[in-house]
Amino acid sequence: MKRNEYDVIIVGGGITGAGTARDCAMRGLRVLLIERHDIATGATGRNHGLLHSGARYAVTDQESASECIRENMILRRIASHCVDETDGFFITLPEDDLNYQAKFVESCLAAGINAEIVDPKEALRMEPSMNPDLIGAVKVPDGSVDPFRLCAANMLDAKLHGAQVLLYTEVTGFIKDGDRIQGIRTYNHQTHKSGEYYAPVTVNAAGIWGQHIAELAGVKIGMFPAKGALLIFAHRVNGIVINRCRKPANADILVPGDTVCVIGTTSTKIPFEECDNVQVTPDEVNLLIEEGAKLAPALASTRILRAYAGVRPLVSADNDPSGRNISRGIVCLDHETRDGLKGFVTITGGKLMTYRLMAEMATDLVCQKLAVDKACGTAETPLPGAGGKNFREVAEKIWENPTTVQKAAVGRLGMAAARMQSSDSLSQSLVCECEEVSVGEINSAIERLDVSGLTDLRRRTRVGMGTCQGELCGCRAAGLLAKAHGCADRAREDLKAFMTERWKGMYPIGWGDALREAEYTQWVYKHVLGV
Amino acid sequence: MRFDTVIIGGGLAGLTAGISLQEAGQKVAIVSAGQNAMHFFSGNFEDIGPARERVSALFASAGVRTRSSDGWMLMPMGSFREVALTLDDVAVFPETHVAEKALIVNYTGFHDFYGTFLAEALEKNGTSCRIRFVRIPEMEHLRLSPSEMRSVNIARAMDEHWEKVVSDVRLLHKDEDLIILPQVFGLKDLSVLDRIRTAFPARVAFIGTMPPSVPGIRTQMLLKRRFEVLGGTFLMGDEVTSAAMHEGIVSSVTTRNLDTARLFADHFILATGGYFSKGLVATPTLVNEPLFGLDIDYPEDRNAWYDTDFFADQPYLDFGVKTDGALRAMKDGKPVQNLYAIGSILGNTRKADYGTAAGLAIRTAFAVADTIKGGNV
Repeated sequence: MKRNEYDVIIVGGGITGAGTARDCAMRGLRVLLIERHDIATGATGRNHGLLHSGARYAVTDQESASECIRENMILRRIASHCVDETDGFFITLPEDDLNYQAKFVESCLAAGINAEIVDPKEALRMEPSMNPDLIGAVKVPDGSVDPFRLCAANMLDAKLHGAQVLLYTEVTGFIKDGDRIQGIRTYNHQTHKSGEYYAPVTVNAAGIWGQHIAELAGVKIGMFPAKGALLIFAHRVNGIVINRCRKPANADILVPGDTVCVIGTTSTKIPFEECDNVQVTPDEVNLLIEEGAKLAPALASTRILRAYAGVRPLVSADNDPSGRNISRGIVCLDHETRDGLKGFVTITGGKLMTYRLMAEMATDLVCQKLAVDKACGTAETPLPGAGGKNFREVAEKIWENPTTVQKAAVGRLGMAAARMQSSDSLSQSLVCECEEVSVGEINSAIERLDVSGLTDLRRRTRVGMGTCQGELCGCRAAGLLAKAHGCADRAREDLKAFMTERWKGMYPIGWGDALREAEYTQWVYKHVLGV
Repeated sequence: MRFDTVIIGGGLAGLTAGISLQEAGQKVAIVSAGQNAMHFFSGNFEDIGPARERVSALFASAGVRTRSSDGWMLMPMGSFREVALTLDDVAVFPETHVAEKALIVNYTGFHDFYGTFLAEALEKNGTSCRIRFVRIPEMEHLRLSPSEMRSVNIARAMDEHWEKVVSDVRLLHKDEDLIILPQVFGLKDLSVLDRIRTAFPARVAFIGTMPPSVPGIRTQMLLKRRFEVLGGTFLMGDEVTSAAMHEGIVSSVTTRNLDTARLFADHFILATGGYFSKGLVATPTLVNEPLFGLDIDYPEDRNAWYDTDFFADQPYLDFGVKTDGALRAMKDGKPVQNLYAIGSILGNTRKADYGTAAGLAIRTAFAVADTIKGGNV
C-alpha cells in the first residue's frame, strides 16, 4: 500500500465538496479533500444566502423546484443553526402581469411548495418594508442560510468522520495509468511543497473551476461562467425574503441575513480568465439599487456595506447569452461511461440549496465504483452545531444565564459554541463590536477550524463583516493571530491582504458613509498605526 | 451676534486659526460639531515644514508640550517613521536600534495595543524584548462590559490609579534600558507623563494604541481651553445649517442650536474637514461641499475616484474645495471675498504649498489667520 492513499479524493472546498466529503466519510470511506484557497471562497460564499423554497423555479423548471423544497425542509432539520426561517413573499408590482400569479401558485403547488396568496394589505402589514404599490403577494417557505457556516459545519463533520482536509493546496495534474485516474499531483501555496495523493476515485467538485480540473484529467466539460453581482446593505431592512412574482430577472430577490440584507443578482457571461477576479461595475451597482428599491423603497436611502460577485457553475447547453435559461439542475458525470476515463467523477451545476443532494448523487456513484453498499445518512443526521430552534434556547442548554456575547456566538456556531472559552471576562471581551465576536470565539476558530489568516477567520466568525468592514477588529484579530501563530510579520502582511480584500467590495459603492469609513480607515492604517 | 471671524469646525485647523486670531485681539467664534480628527491624532505633525517653531510656541501657550527633534517615531505596529515635530507623549529615537533590552508592558485583555508586533519589529533592530501584562483591581470594572477595554476608558482609570501601575511595572522591571507603555496616561494631567518617566532607572516610551488617541483628545481639550481663556466663543455640539451670501460675500450663518439668531462676521473660515467629518460629501454621481456649494474638482467617472489597491494613494483624497492663492474658497469659478478654506477640506489640492495631514491643517490655518490679521491692520 502506497503512502498518501485514500478511497476517494475530492477536489474543491466549496459547499459541494464539503458536503461530498461529509457523505463519503459518513459512509466509511477514507476521504481526502483538496482546496486551492480556503473553504467557501468561490460561488459558495458569493450568493444571496437564500434558502430557496423552489418557488423561483416552479414555472420554468419543475424538477429544480421540487428538489429545492425537499432540500429546504431537510436543511431546516439538519442545519438549524445555519438557517433563519423567515418565509418569503413573491410580490406583483403594477408594471407586472398579475395573471402570472395564478400560474405561479399552481406550479408551486404541483412541485410540493406551499404557496399561499395573501391580500396585499395583509402582506404589507407582515412585511412593512415592501413596495406599498404592490398589487399581489404570495407567501412561500423561503428563508435565509449562512453559506459560510453551512460549509464549515459540513467540513467539520467530515473531519469528525475521519476525512482529511488540505487547504491552500492546488491540483496541478493527475496521475494516470492508461485510461484510469489513480491520483493527483498537488502544490501547497503555504508550504511551497509538491505532493502526490492516490485514490481509485477522484471527484471533481470545483464549481466553475471544474472545467479546468477536467481538462487536467483529459476530458472536456463545457461550462458557462455567469457572473452574478450583489449588494449588502448595512441594516436588515426586511424580515421576510422579498421576490418579484415574474419570470426570473435581474435584482429581484432581497434576502435578510443576520444584521444585514442582500439584493441580487445580475447575470452576465464572463470570460474564464475573469473567474478568479470578478469585479462589480458601477453599472451593475446602479441597476441593483434601482431594481432593489422597487422591492423595498427604503433600499434607495440605506447605507450599502459592500458589493460582491460570484460565478455560477452552469453547464452550457445552448447559445443563451445571459445564462438565465440554462437549467440550474444538477449535473453528475461518470467520465467512465461518458469519456472512457475510469476513476473520475464530476459533480456540478445545481445550487447551494441542493448541495446535499448533489453530494448524495456523487457519493452514490463513488460507492458504486468502489462496490461499497452503504446508504446515505446525511438527510437525517444533524450537522455539528444544529440542536434547537432559536438561539436563546440553544444558549440556555449550554449556559445557565447566557450573556449577549454567548448568544451571538450560538447564532453562528449553534451547539458548537459550547466548546469555546467564554466563562471569564477575558475571553468574553469583544474583538469585533459590529458582529459581537469575542476573543474566546476567535481563539476557538483558530484552534478548531483551520484558520490560517484573517480572511479565513472572517468566513468562520463574521469578524470584519459589520459596518466598520474590519478597520478596528482586523487589527485586534491580527494581534490574536500573531500570538497564536507566534509570528507578527505574517500577521501584519495578512492584515494588509485583509484590508485590500475588504476594499475590493467597498470601492464599487464608495460614496456617502462607505467613503467616510474608507477615509477614516485609510487614516488609521497609514498615519496612526503605520501599517 | 457679531464677531470678527466665525470659524466652522473645531479640529486642529479651526482651533489653530481661532487661537491665532484671538491672540491678535479678534473676537472669534468656533462652531464645532464635536468629534474631529484630533481623536485619531498620532501625535506626529506630518509635513509641518516652516511652521515648526511657530506652532510649538502657540501650543506651549495652551499647555500642549511638543518635542522638536529630528528622529524616528516607533509606530504602534512596529514600523518607524521619520519625524520633526511631535507631541511630547510620542517617543522619538535617534536611531532604529532603540535599546539593548526592552520591557513591553500591556494591560491584560487590552487588544488595542500591539506588544507582539512591537517586540518582533524591535528584535529585528537588535533590541531583545520581554512582554509582560499587568492588571490592577481598580480597572476590573471595565471588564464587566465586553467592549469597555478601550484606550480612553483605561486613560480615565489611569488618571486616578497610574501610581499602582508604576509600582507593578517596578516589580516586573529587571535590567532593561527601555520600558514601553501604551499611550493611556495623562489624559487629565499632563505632568503624569514626566512623573512616570522619572520613576524608573530606564527610559520610558509611550507608544500609540488604536484610536481614540489619548494624546489627541487631551490636546484638543487644551487648545479649546486656551481659545476660551483668550475670550473666544466655542459653540460645542452645534453645526452650521445655512449661510447668507450676497454678491460673493458671506454676511452671516445660522446654526442648529442658536435657532433664529444669526452669527455675523467680517470673515468666515471653513474648517469642516474631509469626508469623515462631512466637510465633503460624496454621492454616487458627485462630490460636494454641503454648506456653501463651493467648487470642487473631480472626474465625473466614478471609476476614477479610486485605486483598487487599498494602500495606494487614493484619488478621492485629492478632491477638495478649490481656492485662490489666498485660500479664499471658490464658488461658480469666482473666489468668495471673505470665506477661506483650511485643513483637510482642501484635500490634497494644496499639497505642494502646505503639505498634508497635520501640516496642512496648521499651515493653512496660519496663512489664513495672517491674511485676516493683515487686512485688519
